[in-house]
Amino acid sequence: MTYVKHRPAERDIRKHRVLAGCLMPFLTLSSYRIRYELDGPEHGPAYVFVNGLTQYAELWGAYRNTLVAKGFRVATFDLLGQGTSDKPALFISQDDQVAALGLVIDQLGDVPVFLSGISFGGVIALRYAVVHGNRLTGLAVMSTFAELSPQLLLLGNALRVGLILGGTNYLQDLLLPMNLSDAWLGPQLENLDAIKRQGWLTNDVYALQNLMESFLDFKPLTAQLPSIKIPTMILNGEFDFLTPRTLHETLRLQIPDSALVIIPHAFHAFTLEKPALTASLLSTFAEDVLSEKWKGNRSVWIAPENAGDPLIPFPPDHDHLRAIPAAQVPR
Amino acid sequence: MSIFFGPLDLAGRVPTRQQTRVAAFLMSCHGAIARQLAIVLASQMNTIWHIELNTQFYREAETVSLLLRATSWVPDPELLFLLPTWEAAWVARSPPAIADRIQGLVIDIASLAHAVHSMIRPAALLPQGVLPQDPFALALRKIEFESSRAIQAQIVFLKSTDLLPLREEVTAAVESRHGQLDKLWQEVLSGIGIDRSKST
Repeated sequence: MTYVKHRPAERDIRKHRVLAGCLMPFLTLSSYRIRYELDGPEHGPAYVFVNGLTQYAELWGAYRNTLVAKGFRVATFDLLGQGTSDKPALFISQDDQVAALGLVIDQLGDVPVFLSGISFGGVIALRYAVVHGNRLTGLAVMSTFAELSPQLLLLGNALRVGLILGGTNYLQDLLLPMNLSDAWLGPQLENLDAIKRQGWLTNDVYALQNLMESFLDFKPLTAQLPSIKIPTMILNGEFDFLTPRTLHETLRLQIPDSALVIIPHAFHAFTLEKPALTASLLSTFAEDVLSEKWKGNRSVWIAPENAGDPLIPFPPDHDHLRAIPAAQVPR
Repeated sequence: MSIFFGPLDLAGRVPTRQQTRVAAFLMSCHGAIARQLAIVLASQMNTIWHIELNTQFYREAETVSLLLRATSWVPDPELLFLLPTWEAAWVARSPPAIADRIQGLVIDIASLAHAVHSMIRPAALLPQGVLPQDPFALALRKIEFESSRAIQAQIVFLKSTDLLPLREEVTAAVESRHGQLDKLWQEVLSGIGIDRSKST
């Protein structure tokens, strides 16, 4: 046998190191390697991105370019089980993912840190913010949740079975039409196999299964959300089927300094579909927080169609949880 | 070094030397799992894991048979040295940290099968230009696809509540087999001009 990996109980979190002969920097968590990347000015305010389930760090490339150009430092990384980070064989705990995120944030030094995560990564970001909120200046969570609604639980189980029976390709076949719009999919139909190939090459079935099974003993975070005192922007696609508005409403109601921003015409994976708009919303959020203009107040907004345009207040006489223009009912 | 098979021949087929080396390695490890499963299955069939194993036993045999037929074989003298090394690596041994030696052997057998079905992704070596109907390419895709189902037997067993008291020992045993197999697989690939290590 060549080596034995140790359990997290024996964890020895060491400082960042660059492996000899290796172009990629890695952090070490216990015996596992976490691949990460830092770009942008060393002393600028930082944005840290946490991947969704099937993502890998390179998919934040458009965000990195936009935010670095605006003076931000950008940190991207692969969670345990993803991309080029190590993929534990049997168990991946979400506590370990939070610890991995903490290692990345520790690399940033004493600068304002904005943390952003999508979907699965949003859950990890929320968990980090609950425990280490004082290390953050702002939080931006996207297409995410604090509890497993019956729909989400059953969908998650079905996706896991789909992965087991049909492999990564079948999971991609399910997620693409569920999470992206016709407007995006239509022009790509002839090219979908090529689009899926990189994700198929990068993701290993057993690792995805381990990531999904980290929810088997998931405890709702709802009761802990009020401890997140930092400015928080919650982004939700207008037509998000996987994590619908009600799941984001829980975050809005429980996080005191939050605002919910609805992305028009968007589905679950709007970070892939609308990178220019989303990066603009993220940079404006950070600039507003840093200049003390941010007022969360559990407000509800509609994002503009075009990057750089202002947010639109959600009409106060309509219910933002409904798809039809129903009157607001006191809750 | 490339991260894929190649260069492909004019018809879009994987070079026969690469086919031979990879098929020999896959037949060695899948054949070893089949032999080990035959022994485990000889014991009483009373758990979900055993039922899954019965299916897996035939899948492993199918994998070996498929590779035998689908590969364009060429003489590979290095296999005279490589095959004994591989076969020695597959021998089951009870991890020292597990007191019950029989239980340890079963855990090690499951750990090896978990490693083979998770770490070895032969279809991911196929470049985009490969001939879609080439028997070797089809066989690799089939083997990789079936691995995601076959591994469920190991997952059910290795994550079972029966083994939770030994979670650290079981995890160490599985990751040890992963490390061993990863090293052997990288060596096989580098021997035919392919580099899949993370550091590149």
